[in-house]
Amino acid sequence: MDLSDRETVCHVERKESVLTTNMMNLAAFVHSLRCSLLHIESRLLQASGLTLDKQLAPSLAVNGPRLLPQVDREDGQEEQSPGLTDGILWMAVPKKRRTIEINRTRRRDENNLLKVKNNIEPCTECGHLKQKHIMCGFCYAKVCKETALIRQQITAMEGGPLRAPAVETVVVYEGETPSELDKDKRIVERARKRPAWFS
Amino acid sequence: MRLTLPALISHGRVARRIGLGPQSRINMLRNILTGLVRHERIETTAARADEVRFYAEKLVDYAKRGDTDEKAMKMATFWLTEKDLVPKLFKVLAPRFETQSTGYTRTARLPNRQNLDRAQMAVIEYKGHPFPPLYPVKQDNELTLVNQLLKGYRQQQQEESSTRPS
Repeated sequence: MDLSDRETVCHVERKESVLTTNMMNLAAFVHSLRCSLLHIESRLLQASGLTLDKQLAPSLAVNGPRLLPQVDREDGQEEQSPGLTDGILWMAVPKKRRTIEINRTRRRDENNLLKVKNNIEPCTECGHLKQKHIMCGFCYAKVCKETALIRQQITAMEGGPLRAPAVETVVVYEGETPSELDKDKRIVERARKRPAWFS
Repeated sequence: MRLTLPALISHGRVARRIGLGPQSRINMLRNILTGLVRHERIETTAARADEVRFYAEKLVDYAKRGDTDEKAMKMATFWLTEKDLVPKLFKVLAPRFETQSTGYTRTARLPNRQNLDRAQMAVIEYKGHPFPPLYPVKQDNELTLVNQLLKGYRQQQQEESSTRPS
């Protein structure tokens, strides 16, 4: 009988799996779980008396999906993930340990070493170091600060965004009066002495 | 054969790629140029400053035509996104550079930005701006020994030349 055969096979497999669960891989474990589940279900059905026996004929047969999951019996264990195991075989892998001599020659090769810069010189104004073709950072920061303060004054004078006047601007420091040429220009007053580096 | 080599070689093309594409590049340069016209000195990445330089000078050339010129006004309204700068361009920048034919802008490289990207920075400015100069103008000090001696020598020469005819 199908049911009894299945039962016995499941029973045998269950015994095997119970003994060797720790050593088997995940697939075998799942397989064994499935088997045990089926076994329990069949036992329950027998106990409840709802199984399809030769004595009791079904009152109504309906074409529908399977109620119990069917276990596919394979000969061998199917591969966990065929891609991964195949992949491991064709991946690039070093054949031998790189010796320290080879490592040294690669690490100390001229192209990989840091280049020494010979275009660094001190700024003539402030003495900070700068590169020959690049402005001195300190001097630029000094100019930036003063420009920012002048711009603050300008925004205060304009009173809002997008109000740039169509006239030139001139910055006047304390104790100075705008000259003849600056008659038509917008005068921005700064409340400090004129710095030495701003002619 | 290295497959990435063509991606690094430009094969003779000199145009710089900025932003997401040609349209994005023009929009970015437009914004930078508007900022430059407003503030007259701005600090950006070196590549953008170099690109904007060409457009800044061309814009001044168009502005020199005068604001009655149709093409000049169209260019100004396209390139300046903030419309209060259009009169500034025609009435301030164009007369400022009347006598000059080229070279209205000055660029200088700055130390790399201090962010994680360490981008190469540059400052670009219109000449004749009211702000402090980037490179301070060196003024000779008359009170140094050599200058005083030279001054005395010049005075002596003048006195000799004035007394000789008489």
